[in-house]
Amino acid sequence: MVKKDGLKLNAWFASGEPWVWMNAAAVGISIAAVVGLLLLIAFRGFAHFWPTSVTRLDVEFSNGVSEVLLGEIADQESLSANQYLESTGQTAEALEPEQAVVERWLIKTGNRRVAPPDFRWVATHYIKKIDYPENALVLERMEWGNAYGFLEAVYQDGELSSAGEGEDVWSDLARRLERSVGLRVEIHALESGELNGINYALERVRLERRSLDRRETVDDATREARLSALIEEENTLLAAFQDAESRLRSLEESLARDSIRISTSSGQELEIGLSEILRAWRPNGMSTLQKVSHYLRSLWIFLSEPPREANTEGGIFPAIFGTLMMVMLMSVLVTPFGVIAALYLREYAKQGAFVRLIRIAVNNLAGVPSIVYGVFGLGFFVYFLGGNLDQLFFPDALPAPTFGTPGMLWASLTLALLTVPVVVVSTEEGLTRIPRSIREGSLALGATKAETLFKVVLPMASPSILTGVILAVARAAGEVAPLMLVGVVKLAPSLPLDGNFPFVHLERKFMHLGFHIYDVGFQSPNVEAARPLVFATALLLVILIIFLNLTAIMLRNRLERRYRGVEA
Amino acid sequence: MTSESTTAPANSGFQSETANHFGETSTDASLLVNDLCLFYGDQQALKDINLSIPRKEVTAFIGPSGCGKSTLLRCFNRMNDLIDTVTVTGTLLLEGQNIYANDVDVAQLRRRVGMVFQRPNPFPKTIYENVAYGLRLEGKIPRKELDERVEWALKSAALWDEVKDRLKESALGLSGGQQQRLVIARAVAVQPSVLLLDEPASALDPISTLKIEELIHQLKSDYTIVIVTHNMQQAARVSDFTAFMYLGELVEFDKTDDVFTNPKKQQTEDYITGRYG
Repeated sequence: MVKKDGLKLNAWFASGEPWVWMNAAAVGISIAAVVGLLLLIAFRGFAHFWPTSVTRLDVEFSNGVSEVLLGEIADQESLSANQYLESTGQTAEALEPEQAVVERWLIKTGNRRVAPPDFRWVATHYIKKIDYPENALVLERMEWGNAYGFLEAVYQDGELSSAGEGEDVWSDLARRLERSVGLRVEIHALESGELNGINYALERVRLERRSLDRRETVDDATREARLSALIEEENTLLAAFQDAESRLRSLEESLARDSIRISTSSGQELEIGLSEILRAWRPNGMSTLQKVSHYLRSLWIFLSEPPREANTEGGIFPAIFGTLMMVMLMSVLVTPFGVIAALYLREYAKQGAFVRLIRIAVNNLAGVPSIVYGVFGLGFFVYFLGGNLDQLFFPDALPAPTFGTPGMLWASLTLALLTVPVVVVSTEEGLTRIPRSIREGSLALGATKAETLFKVVLPMASPSILTGVILAVARAAGEVAPLMLVGVVKLAPSLPLDGNFPFVHLERKFMHLGFHIYDVGFQSPNVEAARPLVFATALLLVILIIFLNLTAIMLRNRLERRYRGVEA
Repeated sequence: MTSESTTAPANSGFQSETANHFGETSTDASLLVNDLCLFYGDQQALKDINLSIPRKEVTAFIGPSGCGKSTLLRCFNRMNDLIDTVTVTGTLLLEGQNIYANDVDVAQLRRRVGMVFQRPNPFPKTIYENVAYGLRLEGKIPRKELDERVEWALKSAALWDEVKDRLKESALGLSGGQQQRLVIARAVAVQPSVLLLDEPASALDPISTLKIEELIHQLKSDYTIVIVTHNMQQAARVSDFTAFMYLGELVEFDKTDDVFTNPKKQQTEDYITGRYG
């Protein structure tokens, strides 16, 4: 009987069934892990933009102090009574008799300037009353984070325009906000367009004057002529600058015209200028449709605007742009380099011990920690190459470095170096897969080796080359450590691509999603406020990499379809 | 196929011009092999081959596997050069010119001696581009002339009627037999004087094989053809001369009728009567 059972079990193992189950389980776990990861990030990240209801809590603490809190519930957790007492430093009197578990909520109360801190933990057993006042107002401000309160009055030039609790006060505010949004757009256009352009032109004039001073070959007459032309140009620019600046000032004055008064939950009266307010909404009174529209607007702002408030507010557009541009530049640099290296190794070099050694070295290069590449990039590209470039081509700006400082070009080059082994390996693999018969067919028609390579072999190897580029992009887009040394900054004042000649500014520093996550999550002055942004940014980084990969994969599949059916 | 379609259009000067590069001789032999030995490293694969391949006739190489017939064929357009360890001694004259001389441009030589391989190997390009490939290597050719020469080559390979409406489609969509004729068209397009066929029908079905054989009949009026085959019936059907090779040596070379009906050597007789091989 026992023996028979053993045989049965053996037969079951021999049938391979257990393997199938184990494989299926492994695949299942992997899929669950990936999907779970993405879902968590997506939920935590994108829930942030939803207009959460504003809760009013009447709280009475154990010491008899009572308070009214107004804000959003940001988080909740359960603690054992002991943990709670230890973490808050309170005595047992703070608890209800026999209480073993403390439930507490994290309330985002905002109003950071008048009633800090802006995040408060409140144990639920202190809460006497919860309600959701219909007209509770949320203000997104330029500085100091959100404000929560009730609208009291609207002023224009210090004169009362409307007051009270009526709807008309709210619509008065909404109208004025629309005006200030329009003004803000104008101000932004003026600042980043005209003023920026004038500044850039002024800097060029300044550099040219310096270069004129240094050059000795120019005779005095020409020097004088050129100098006066430059001075004239500078004066015109300065006049234009003053003109633009006075227009800017009048716009700013116009923006500062209106203000409102709100009362906070603690009964304080707050006077806030409309120039301070970005958006205002009353989440408790919003319909679902209004909430969706508010959500989409918030999302759009997040995607399209630069950050504010030490990166804890506003958008991440410069980081998206920087990441995308850096990865694309990297691909453009790494592809020809990797392909040429692979071509030489596989097609021209005499196969032997030395080439094998080189191949091993190239493969191992992929395993070097990325920070090492960062150090190399800083030492070689930035200081050596960049420093010498500055001496040669930008001596007028010295001692201020142009290329001799971390920037877009050096970051892309460093990452290209980091990913070149991947491209070399997959290109080599592609080259070995091209059937001999195809090469012979080309050679037999009188093509030289080079003609055969470039007209037949390389096009056929292009899917493999693209596979290498896909892997390179996947690795480069997620890399952060080396970038911190060679070009990424917390906040870049301008994009590496703009309207000022020569439009592409590869010497500029840039922002990067990966570094942004680190910066917002761990270097920010307001960790609680920044946490949702960490998730949202992480999700965006993942989406960006998926998008880049999908593009390359689609391209590769098209090429593969074209060359399908060629066999060895 | 009419005789008109096998005549090259437009550039009759082309063939004689490249022919002059190697010089014309008055002999009837297109290819003259003298004491040809070939080594793979230390191993000798061809032993003192002496052979004269007649112009505008079909010469077949037969013999058991490994006898060196393909290796000999690949000497005619120096395809063996691609293998590093190969050394060749002796001379091989194409129209009186030693193709193993140092100053020979191998790419030029291969344009004079076209080759078709055992398995169809069209490039993963369109039908048109496959045929135009060799032509484009000559340099920039006006579109109209290129069109004409592609059409002429496809007609020479008896493929034009089947593909004239889909020249812009991938060559990989053709059947095996069509692909093989396309490869022949590709070789013919550059107007070589010799065509080397390395078991051109061994990967094809009987009907496609028949078409290839018919094509060989038509092509021999314009080209010297050398064909390697495993199939003795095929050799008997298509060739005018037959060379029997065994273990790297040329055993017998004569008119095909004589080799098959009245072989002079015992080995040849054993082989063609199926006693070994």
